Amino acid sequence: MLLDPGMDLTLRPMRYPDFYERYRAAIRNTWTVEEVDLHSDLADLARMTPQERHLINRLVAFFATGDSIVANNLVLNLYQHVNAPEARLYLSRQLFEEAVHVQFYLTLLDTYLPDHDERVKAFAAVEHIPSIRDKAEFCFRWIDSLGGLERLETKEDRRAFLLNLICFAACIEGLFFYGAFAYVYWFRSRGLLGGLATGTNWVFRDESMHMEFAFSVVDTVRAEEPELFDDKLGEQVTRMLEEAVAAELAFAADLCGEGMPGMGAEQMRRYLEYVADQRLARLGLPVRYGTANPFAFMEFQDVQELANFFERRVSAYQVAVEGNVTFDESF
Amino acid sequence: MTQTRFETAESAAGTADVTAGTAAGAAGRRLAIEEAAARVIADPENSRLAARLLAGLIADEAAGHGVRTFSESVAATHAAGLVADRLAAFVAAHAAELDALITEETAFEYFGLRTVYDRYLLRHPETRKVLERPQHFFLRVACGLSETVAEAAELYGLMASLSYLPSSPTLFNSGARRPQLSSCFLLDSPRDELEAIYERYGQVARLSKYAGGIGVSWTRVRSRGSLIRGTNGHSNGIVPWLRTLDSSVAAVNQGGRRKGAACVYLETWHADIEEFLELRDNTGEDARRTHNLNLANWVPDEFMRRVEADAMWSLFDPKQVPYLTDLYGPAFDEAYRAAEADGAAVRRIPARTLYGRMMRTLAQTGNGWMTFKDAANRTSNQTARPENVIHLSNLCTEILEVTGDAETAVCNLGSVNLAAHLDGGDGLDWERLRRTVRTAVRFLDRTIDLGFYPTPEAETANRRWRPIGLGVMGLADVFFALRLPFDSSGALALSTRIAEEIALAAYDTSADLAVERGRHPSYDDTRAAGGVLHPDHYGAATSPEWAALRAKIAETGLRNSLMIAIAPTATIASIAGCYECIEPQVSNIFKRETLSGEFLQVNRYLVRDLQERGLWTPAVRDAIKRADGSVQDIPEIPDDLKVLYRTAWELPQKALIDLAAARTPYIDQSQSLNLFMATPTIGKLSSMYAYAWKSGLKTTYYLRSRPATRIAQTTVAQPVTAVPAADPDAVACSLENPEYCDACQ
Repeated sequence: MLLDPGMDLTLRPMRYPDFYERYRAAIRNTWTVEEVDLHSDLADLARMTPQERHLINRLVAFFATGDSIVANNLVLNLYQHVNAPEARLYLSRQLFEEAVHVQFYLTLLDTYLPDHDERVKAFAAVEHIPSIRDKAEFCFRWIDSLGGLERLETKEDRRAFLLNLICFAACIEGLFFYGAFAYVYWFRSRGLLGGLATGTNWVFRDESMHMEFAFSVVDTVRAEEPELFDDKLGEQVTRMLEEAVAAELAFAADLCGEGMPGMGAEQMRRYLEYVADQRLARLGLPVRYGTANPFAFMEFQDVQELANFFERRVSAYQVAVEGNVTFDESF
Repeated sequence: MTQTRFETAESAAGTADVTAGTAAGAAGRRLAIEEAAARVIADPENSRLAARLLAGLIADEAAGHGVRTFSESVAATHAAGLVADRLAAFVAAHAAELDALITEETAFEYFGLRTVYDRYLLRHPETRKVLERPQHFFLRVACGLSETVAEAAELYGLMASLSYLPSSPTLFNSGARRPQLSSCFLLDSPRDELEAIYERYGQVARLSKYAGGIGVSWTRVRSRGSLIRGTNGHSNGIVPWLRTLDSSVAAVNQGGRRKGAACVYLETWHADIEEFLELRDNTGEDARRTHNLNLANWVPDEFMRRVEADAMWSLFDPKQVPYLTDLYGPAFDEAYRAAEADGAAVRRIPARTLYGRMMRTLAQTGNGWMTFKDAANRTSNQTARPENVIHLSNLCTEILEVTGDAETAVCNLGSVNLAAHLDGGDGLDWERLRRTVRTAVRFLDRTIDLGFYPTPEAETANRRWRPIGLGVMGLADVFFALRLPFDSSGALALSTRIAEEIALAAYDTSADLAVERGRHPSYDDTRAAGGVLHPDHYGAATSPEWAALRAKIAETGLRNSLMIAIAPTATIASIAGCYECIEPQVSNIFKRETLSGEFLQVNRYLVRDLQERGLWTPAVRDAIKRADGSVQDIPEIPDDLKVLYRTAWELPQKALIDLAAARTPYIDQSQSLNLFMATPTIGKLSSMYAYAWKSGLKTTYYLRSRPATRIAQTTVAQPVTAVPAADPDAVACSLENPEYCDACQ
C-alpha cells in the first residue's frame, strides 16, 4: 500500500501510472523566471494609491516565504512517507517547481522593492507582521505535527500523515495561495500588474497540479485503506479549513483595510469560504459554508487564454516533443 | 427578449459589490462596467451593455475637457499639439458638414470599445483624459487621409459600420504630426561587415519607434568559426549579433502603446542554422537566447526535396557563397550543387535531421515559422528581373516584397470585415464587398503619399513599388452565419470566391488609379508589364472578367505592384468584434490577455443557437468551460452544432491548408496562416509542413499548441467524488448559491 513504510524502488510493473503521467505532464510545462517581464509593472506601481501599495507590499512579503515553507514540508514529511518511486518522481518535480516559484517571488521582490532595507523587512515579515506570522505559524504547526515520525506504522500515524498532506494541499496551496492569487487577478482585471499576473498564471498552473496530485494520493489511500477515513478525520479536516479561512481572513483585513472598489475583507471572506467548500467537496466532505463566489474576475482563470502575439509571450508551448520525421501522419 | 436580458444584466451590474464609501463616482461606474463585462458568458448581450456604459463614461470624460462635437475634439487635440495643422485647418473649414457625419449609434462590442478607449483615443498630455469619442476618432482618421469631405464621409462610413478598418499604425497616426502609417518593414540582411550590422540596428530602432513590425534577414552574415581577416580571429557567428538585436528591439517601446517586435529570417543553408533554432528555447545558456525575437526559416525547395528523398544537406558560411541569397529557383539549385561539388560546405547533415529539428522548435516555441523562398519569388509581380529578389517575409509572414541594401520594403495594410458584408440571407452582398474594396484600395494607395517614413530606404522603396496589403477578417463569422463547417466544400468554394472577387476589384481599382495618378515608377520591372497577372501563374484567371481586366491593365498599367496580403488583424478584429482574418475559432469560450487587461469572449453564434433551443443553461456553460471551450463531448448539444462549432484544435489542419492553397492564386503577397495542434509530435508536424509546401503555400505563421497542464478551475462546479451528507445548512445555502445548485436556475 502507498503508505506502507519503506523505500520502494520498483517502477516495472508500475503500481501508480497516474502519478508518473502527472510527472511527465509537469515536465512539459517547464517555465523559467527569465520569461516573465516584471519591469512593465513598475509604471503601474508608481501610480497606485497608498492603500493599493500597502496591499502589494504585504502580498510580496507573504510570497517571499510561502513557497519555501511548502518546499520544506515536502522534504521533511511528504517524500519520506509516500512510498512509490513514481510518486516520488512527481514530488521531486514539485520540489523543483517550488524552487522556481521561490526564485520568481525573489525576483518580484527585488523588482518591486528597489530599497535594500525594504527587502530585508519583507523577509522579516514572517516574524514581525502579525497577519503573516499567524499564517506561517499555522503552517509550522502542521509541519511539526508528524513530530519526526520515521515510519507510518499505526492507523493513527497514517491519519496524522493524511492531515499533514491535506493541510498543505487544501489549506496552504489550495487556500492561502488561492487567496493571494485573487488579489493579483483583481489588479489584472483593472489592467494593472500584467507582469505579475503572467508569472502568477504559471505559478497558479503549477500549484493546481500540486494540489491535484495530493488529492489523488488521498484518493489512492482512501481506496486502499478506507477505514482511515472516519468521521473524526472529516471533522479534523473541516476544523483545519476553518482555521485556515480565519487566518487568511485576518490577512485580508490587514491587506484591504477599509476596502477598495471590488476588493475588500467581506468579499474575500465569501471567496475564501467558497474555495474552502470546493476543497471539502473534492475530499468528499460536506460543504461547510455554501457561499457563492463573489469575484466575477476569477472566472477569467477558468477560460483558456488566447495570448495576443504583439503583446505577451505565449506561455502555452510544450517542452518535450516526441516522434520522428514522417510524411504520412494525419493532421 | 433582448430588452429583458438587458434589464437582467443591468440589475446584476447595479448590485455589483461596491465597498461602501470608497466607490463614489467614476470608480463605481467602472466597477459596474467590469461586472457586466465579466458576465458576458452568461449572456453575450452583456457585452453590448458594458459597451454602452463605457461609451457614456468616455463621453463624460471628453466633456470634462469641453469636447462634445467632432470639430471640438479636433480643436482640443490640435491645441494639445497632438494633430497636424493641416488636419485642424481642414476640419475647421468644414466643421458643420463633418460634425453632421457623426453617428451616435455604434456597432461596438465591449472588448472593441475598450481597446479603442485604452489604446487609440487621443489623450491630454497632462490629465491623460481622452479628448475625443470613438466616433470622433474614426472621423479624424478618415479626415487625415482625405482631401474632401465626400472622401472623408466615404471612409468614415466604412469604419463606423466596422466594414473596413485600416491597420493599427494608420489608426494610431493618421492626422498626427508625424503620420507613420505603415505596418510592416522588411530589411534585407546587413552585409557581412561591422558597420553594416550596426547601421541595421539603427534602422530597425527608427522603424520600430513608430509602431512598425520588423522583418529582417541575417543570412548574409558569416557563420561561427569563419575567419575575420582584419584581426586574424574567428567569428562567433550570428548569435551574439542577434542578442544585440534582441535587446535593441526590447528597448524600443512604441510610444508606450505596444512593444517593439521583430522577426529574424535565416536561410536553411546557413551554417548557424541549428543555433538559430535554439534562440527561443527556455533552457540552456541564456547568453545564447533571444527572448523577444521571432524566428523564421527561409526555406529553399531544394531543402524540402532532400528531406523527401532522405538525402544529405550542406551548410555553408555565407562568406564563401555570398551569391546564394540572391538566387532562387533553378539558378539557386544549380549554384548550391556547384558549391557542394567544390567542397565549400562547412558541414553536411541528413536533411531530415535538420527538418526534425525545425519541427521541434515549432512545437516547443511556436516559433521558427516555415516560409518558402522559391514559392515566394516564383509568382511575385516584383521579381520579373533577376536582380529583384525577395529575401524574407515580415513579422507576420503575409508580406513578400523585394529588398536590397538601398530598399527597405514597406507595406500599408487594411482589412475588410467580411462579417459586415453578409446579406442577411444565405450569402454575401458581393456588390457591397466590391465597393468596400474599391474605397479601401484608394485609401491604402493614399497612405503611401501621406505617410512619414522613418528612413530614406523605406521611402525610396515604397514610392517606387507602391505596394499595399488589403486583407480580410471575419471569415469564421461568415462560415458560422452561413452554417458552413470549415472543412466543407461549400466553405472552400465561398472562401475562394471571396479572394477572387477582392482581387478583381482591387486590381481594377489600381488600374483606374494608374490612369488618374500614374503608374508606380517601377511598373516596367514587373511581371504585370509583361501581361502576366498573379493568378496566371496558377491558371486561375481564365474567366471573362480576368480577360477583360488583363486587357484593361495592358492599356492602363497599375498604380500598385502588389495589392493583397492577409494580415493577422489581431487588434482590428478586436475592434470590429469579429474573428481574426481567415482563422477558425480557437475556443467557444476564451479570454484575451492584452496590455489593457483580460477579457472574456464567448462564441455568440453558438450561444444564439443554444438559446433558441433552450440549451444555454449554467450546466451547459460549465460543461463547455470544463472542456476548455469545446462542445464535442457535451451530451446536451445536438450533433449539427457540434460539427459547426468545432474549434481550431478539432478541425483537420489539412482543411486550413487546403483553404489557404485554394486562395493563393488571388493573394499576390501572402497570408498569415496559423496552424493548430493540441499535442504536436514530430511525425504529425513533419507531415503537415511537407503538405503545406507541396500545396504551394508561400508562408506559414505560428504553430499553436496547448499547455500540457492547466490551472484548476475556481468558478466551475467540479464533479464531486463523493456525495456530501444531507446537512440542513448546506441545503439552505445552496439555494442562495447558484454555482452549486442547478435546480434554482
